[in-house]
Amino acid sequence: MSFKVDAGENARIAIQALRANRMRTVLTTVGIGIGVATLLAIVGVIQGLNASFAEQLNKLGANGLYVSRSPSIVIGDWWKYRNRPDLTPEHAEALRPLLTRAELVVPSTSTRGDVTREGNELTSISITGTEEGYLLSRGYTMAAGRFLTAGEAQSNQRVTVLGADAASGLFPVGSAVGQTVKIEGQSYRVVGVLAAKGKVLTENPDLVAVIPMGVFRQQFGTFRSIQIGVIAKEGVSLDSLEDEVLGAMRRVRRLDPTEDENFNINRPEMLAKTYDQLTGALFAVAGGIGFITLLVGGIGIMNIMLVSVRERTREIGIRRALGARRRTIVIQFLFESAAVSAFGGFLGAVVGLGSVRIVAEISPLAAVVDPMVLIGGIVFSGLVGLIFGIWPAARAANLDPIEALRHE
Amino acid sequence: MLISVENVTRKYEVGGETVHALRGVSFQVSKGEWCAIVGQSGSGKSTLMNILGCLDTPNSGRYMLNGHDVSQMDDDALADIRNREIGFIFQTFQLLPRETSLANVELPLVYRGIGAKERRERAIAALQKVGLEHRMHHRPNELSGGQRQRVAVARALVAEPSLLLADEPTGNLDSATGEEIIHLFEELHAAGHTLVLVTHEPSLAARCPRAIRITDGQIVADGVGSEVAFPPAPTGT
Repeated sequence: MSFKVDAGENARIAIQALRANRMRTVLTTVGIGIGVATLLAIVGVIQGLNASFAEQLNKLGANGLYVSRSPSIVIGDWWKYRNRPDLTPEHAEALRPLLTRAELVVPSTSTRGDVTREGNELTSISITGTEEGYLLSRGYTMAAGRFLTAGEAQSNQRVTVLGADAASGLFPVGSAVGQTVKIEGQSYRVVGVLAAKGKVLTENPDLVAVIPMGVFRQQFGTFRSIQIGVIAKEGVSLDSLEDEVLGAMRRVRRLDPTEDENFNINRPEMLAKTYDQLTGALFAVAGGIGFITLLVGGIGIMNIMLVSVRERTREIGIRRALGARRRTIVIQFLFESAAVSAFGGFLGAVVGLGSVRIVAEISPLAAVVDPMVLIGGIVFSGLVGLIFGIWPAARAANLDPIEALRHE
Repeated sequence: MLISVENVTRKYEVGGETVHALRGVSFQVSKGEWCAIVGQSGSGKSTLMNILGCLDTPNSGRYMLNGHDVSQMDDDALADIRNREIGFIFQTFQLLPRETSLANVELPLVYRGIGAKERRERAIAALQKVGLEHRMHHRPNELSGGQRQRVAVARALVAEPSLLLADEPTGNLDSATGEEIIHLFEELHAAGHTLVLVTHEPSLAARCPRAIRITDGQIVADGVGSEVAFPPAPTGT
């Protein structure tokens, strides 16, 4: 003879009990809901950050690396990089014949400056001095005109290629190509306009004026350390490229084998590592807050279940008299607390998803939610209900049926 | 023999004092009998009823129900035997207030692990036996006291137990409604059910074919209901 009570029956009992105290059920679910919503929103924003960061890495060119004087993000003793010698375009020239695994070696440097054109002014936009390889190495394409030629880069002609936003800002009507703009007071002829790339976090790669490296150094000085982008040939791994670049740079810099490098090779994935460090801490703190909220919600559920057990003492006595085993009563109450908690988790998931959507709409963060996280939220809150239901359920099951039947 | 109680004792610790609720009780009940257990409050009849109902076990002695030795059973086994062998009818009906009559009657079958469809059919049949099939979708608070007790009787019958155990079944009913329930019991007795009725009312016990009178935890009389239900008049008056 089977004494197993089917799940359908338990579900029916749970729903009936929860419906009988609607207000109480709703208030209980709110607690757990807030916890789940918080956790989901945090996870969503972080996933969004990750996604936009990955996208940014792609835009930087994931198949390349950058030689610079110091790391792109310096945490801690930044001053140790201060006395390193600058990188110059000559280093790039010296490097180029040494690198067999590189497709492109592109020096670039940038500053901020004003670009004007009778009546229209863009203040403090990015001004980049570079060579013809820049277009490819940064993953830009042309919208109009052409990019800088090798000849222009050598001959120090005052020509510029404008980013999409820079072009539309200066030339609201008509084409920018062939027109003249002033960059920090100097006149430049616009030879091309870059296709829009789209904003990456706070950086706008479309608000830029690109000029030849030689002209840049004439106008803005030579004291600036440059950055050398190295793009791998097809089929060359970043590791083997980095090995080659490291050896070549040491030769160019004439370093003894015992000397430390006085330059830095940045890989986009190193950037990712730094990023992970930063978001990891954020995630831990936010996760902790969400966890505590769930804990508070769980205690709320435990409290309500204890009240429920007390109120339904007679019911428990009746069920026990009619043949319910202790375990059956435990399962009934666990089912109930898991159900109310999972329902709260569901509501919280909906709210959390909604807030993630809002974050995505009103902020530059591309917050996203993996549907698995949603299911995880519901399952997890159900588990919280299960855990916090254990004590009340055990109390219910351990009631003496005789006493319980007499309970008023 | 359906019920065989042999020298059963039960004592409680109340506030450091030992209360001997049952002091060696022995009797037997055969299948198909209708027997009252009558006694005043504090006589031990409630303790006896709890033991007969497998809600409690004796400290010593033996209780055999339908061939099972209940005295040595653990909690799970007691729950199972209550489900299979006993149909309870309580003074306060003990129906689940939020459930319909039908769901209340189905409950023992739920704990027996019977499927929903068969449960429903058997519950409807049981409600028909007590003449309440037209009230099966009503909740207890929509029923009169007599109807509630009929639902409780249907619930006691539904799992086809070997023993119907009624505890003051008319205690919360007016006399006319109580009479209806007694008639129902007469019908059940005529249909071959075994009934044990626990009461403090000698007039009710007197209507049973057999009565056992209990005083101070001991059986003082056991015989035809009308003869032993009333305590003997004190001598000297």
